[in-house]
Amino acid sequence: MKNSQIAIIIAIAILIGYSLVRLGNSSTYSSFEDAIALNGEKTTVIGFLDLEGSMDFNPKTVQFSFTAKDKKGNISKVIYNQPKPQDFERSEEITMTGYATDSAFIATEILMKCPSKYNEQNEVDSDKIYK
Amino acid sequence: MEYVGEHLWAANLGRGLTALSFTMALLSTFAYYAKGQDWKKLGRFAFRVHAVSLFGLIGTLFFIMANHYFEFDYVWKHTSLDLPARYLFSAFWEGQEGSFLLWMFWNAVLGFILTYSAKSFEGPVVGVFAAVQAFLVSMVLGVYIGDMHIGYSPFILVRELQDNVGLPWTQFTDYLTRFPNFADGSGLNPLLQNYWMTIHPPTLFLGFASTLVPFSYAIAGLLRRDYKSWINSALIWSFFSVGILGVGILMGGAWAYEALSFGGFWAWDPVENTSLVPWLTMAAGAHLLLVQKNKGGVIPSALFMLILTFLLVLYSTFLTRSGVLGDSSVHAFVDLGLSGQLLIYLLFFSIGSLVLLLARYKGLPKKEKEDRMDSREFWMFIGALTLLISGLQITLSTSYPVFNKLFGPEGLMTLYDKDKVLSDPIDHYNAIQVPFAIVIVLLIGAGQFLSYRKTSTALFFKRQILTLAATTLSALLSAWSLKMWNPMYFLLLWASYYAIIGNLEFLIRWAKGNWNVAGSTVAHVGFGLIIAGSLVSNANKDVISKNKTFIHEEFPANENLLIHEGDTVQMGDYWVSWTGQEEEGYYLNYNLEFFKENEGKLEGSFNLKPRIQLNEKMGNVAEPSTKHFLSKDIYTHVTYADLRSELEKGDEEWKNQFDLELLQGESHFLYGKYKVQLDTLVVEAPSSDGELDYVVLGAGISVRTMQDSVYKIMPVYAVQGDKANHVDAEIEELGLKFRFERINYETNKPVISAAERTEEEEPFILIKAEVFPWINLLWLGSLMIAIGTFIAIVTRIRRS
Repeated sequence: MKNSQIAIIIAIAILIGYSLVRLGNSSTYSSFEDAIALNGEKTTVIGFLDLEGSMDFNPKTVQFSFTAKDKKGNISKVIYNQPKPQDFERSEEITMTGYATDSAFIATEILMKCPSKYNEQNEVDSDKIYK
Repeated sequence: MEYVGEHLWAANLGRGLTALSFTMALLSTFAYYAKGQDWKKLGRFAFRVHAVSLFGLIGTLFFIMANHYFEFDYVWKHTSLDLPARYLFSAFWEGQEGSFLLWMFWNAVLGFILTYSAKSFEGPVVGVFAAVQAFLVSMVLGVYIGDMHIGYSPFILVRELQDNVGLPWTQFTDYLTRFPNFADGSGLNPLLQNYWMTIHPPTLFLGFASTLVPFSYAIAGLLRRDYKSWINSALIWSFFSVGILGVGILMGGAWAYEALSFGGFWAWDPVENTSLVPWLTMAAGAHLLLVQKNKGGVIPSALFMLILTFLLVLYSTFLTRSGVLGDSSVHAFVDLGLSGQLLIYLLFFSIGSLVLLLARYKGLPKKEKEDRMDSREFWMFIGALTLLISGLQITLSTSYPVFNKLFGPEGLMTLYDKDKVLSDPIDHYNAIQVPFAIVIVLLIGAGQFLSYRKTSTALFFKRQILTLAATTLSALLSAWSLKMWNPMYFLLLWASYYAIIGNLEFLIRWAKGNWNVAGSTVAHVGFGLIIAGSLVSNANKDVISKNKTFIHEEFPANENLLIHEGDTVQMGDYWVSWTGQEEEGYYLNYNLEFFKENEGKLEGSFNLKPRIQLNEKMGNVAEPSTKHFLSKDIYTHVTYADLRSELEKGDEEWKNQFDLELLQGESHFLYGKYKVQLDTLVVEAPSSDGELDYVVLGAGISVRTMQDSVYKIMPVYAVQGDKANHVDAEIEELGLKFRFERINYETNKPVISAAERTEEEEPFILIKAEVFPWINLLWLGSLMIAIGTFIAIVTRIRRS
């Protein structure tokens, strides 16, 4: 067998081996309900800010807590041990990576999508038209 | 209907030029692939007309943006009156349409050059360009066929947007002046108001565009069954591509590091990944072409790599522009509804080129003799293979959102019932990519000492005794001083030093500065420096703004430092003081003074001004400030600041208002601290002619503290006619205020409201500061890659 063929076979084996390992290893998107069932395993929840819930940032302990609603409508308190992100109130969707505990979902990473940043619509206030 | 104040000529000109550019690209494609000299001339003519009309359309878009014609949706969305002129370019390519145009611009420029330089290959090479351009121009065509639209034109007017058609306001001919919305646009995202945004996208897109040249040569070669005469041209262009794309990607990293508060230059974000992967495969392809030119026998893999690179650029375009990445990336484009069109584009070129490669595979020249294990070509092949595997790994992991769309719960074919996601992307990629990087830098180090065909083992080692010794010594010294003994990291450090020192030694000692090898050795030293710099600065990154809150080692909760205004606090080796902030345009600059301790005294060291960009329309953004030393950077940004104005904070002099209803003699325990008792109720109600003139009520209250001190006060309530007046009573020492509000006539009890004084909060900010050691190696390496590639290209052009 040629050397280069052996090299290619080794390379393909690495890639397949890697894919198999990864498949068992990746986490999934969950709801808050699923997150609790995962017993503290890391997962990602997509949801949005529940403005009716409480929101608090304590700068001394750098703890930010808020209430979020996931896509299935489950509501959970979320604790994020980082400074409160700028313009958090304006976020449209929040991707929270972390794990659930008895009292709250502990987010280690938060990604926000702000509608205003990229696709602000040019809306004309129709009330003004008839005045 | 005639609208007042619209610049319809610009819309017509822009759309006309788009249509012309599209038709000419199509015509050029067909003409170039038809047989005969006249057809070729027509193809060339059509391509040049296409290019010129494309430049015209770009110019028109610039013109309407520079003049703020806000009736155009693109102008309204991406500019505003207060946008400084220097950011006009950034605004131009902020949106999908503009960045497509930027890409087409470079394709047209490169195609234009090729109509002169490609000589006998002009037909099939520029033909591929024309086909690609036809697809790209169709993305900004903006033609509607029924409900389906082809492309999205940057020349669409706001009133023509699908959501707006038929709305009442579009019935006003003077809508532009009638509605204040049209007086100013929404402006450019403050994150992008940065000079990096002016130079990074054009460089990156030139890099993307340049991958098309080797691809076109490969297609042309396959079509003509010619696997020889184009190799040299393709070789030069592929190294051009490697250089430019590399610089473009690194500029993105520099931007993220200098101006965005991501906390580093590389975050393995999908958008970064999908631009890195074509670079990896292009580097592999370019080196295979080198092997082909010097030794031969690798045509199949070289062709595959060049074709794959362009397809990966298309795949990257699809990922970042179709909205697929929405949940997993911070900077993918907003979906314009072009995913179908993008998919057709991707599939057309993927299927077309791969089918062609398969059809021709049998006739491709193969190796006559097997490579020896001690030959340069064998190890270059291994290097190319490693780059490919590394790139495929990144592609697979970045493609999770695509797999979810295909096989997830809502996918075409459900294989798993929950969408999958990488839980810790940075660790994931680092862990897998470090071994690949070790192999690559090892090969880069050894490569120059290997000869084509056969290397004398004795000579191979004899020539690099110095290198091996110097490498081992400096790697041990560095690891010792940085305390970096993780075996994988140490191996990578050793290997990258080997690449740097080996190439330097080769250039100085053995090649004696020969220009023919200078380019590649300088670029390879640069690559080694980039790997060493990334490794050292990342693996030894030190957060110095630690506070004492400690929750759990996995929680980075203690990485932010709270500083009160005027305070000086310790941070790592420094003492830092926040002396206030000042406004500068859109920015709020926070002045941080750093001091070093010297024999018990603090000596001023340097100042930093991390800032927050204030933008009412799009939200506030923190920008870091970095002090650069030769051996390290100190990187700070404000992670929290109270940006409320005095007015917004409100007149919150008093808080916790609480109503007490007490009868004489009754008491209440207030705020868990004070015993409040109503001692007496004094009434004064003089009357004349049987009518009450006024009533004055005084509540004699005693407040007893936990320390047993007693304060006696009397708030007063006065009523005359339907007017009421209060005279509040304050206890200065306790910060308490009482008001006699009224009498509750249902219970006949006086209502006294109490309130506590808000303690004046001292202003504070939270900052995060990190030390990146030796990050300058990375930038030096980037510079050397650019210079080395430039030298290599110039010497190759001269030789050919």
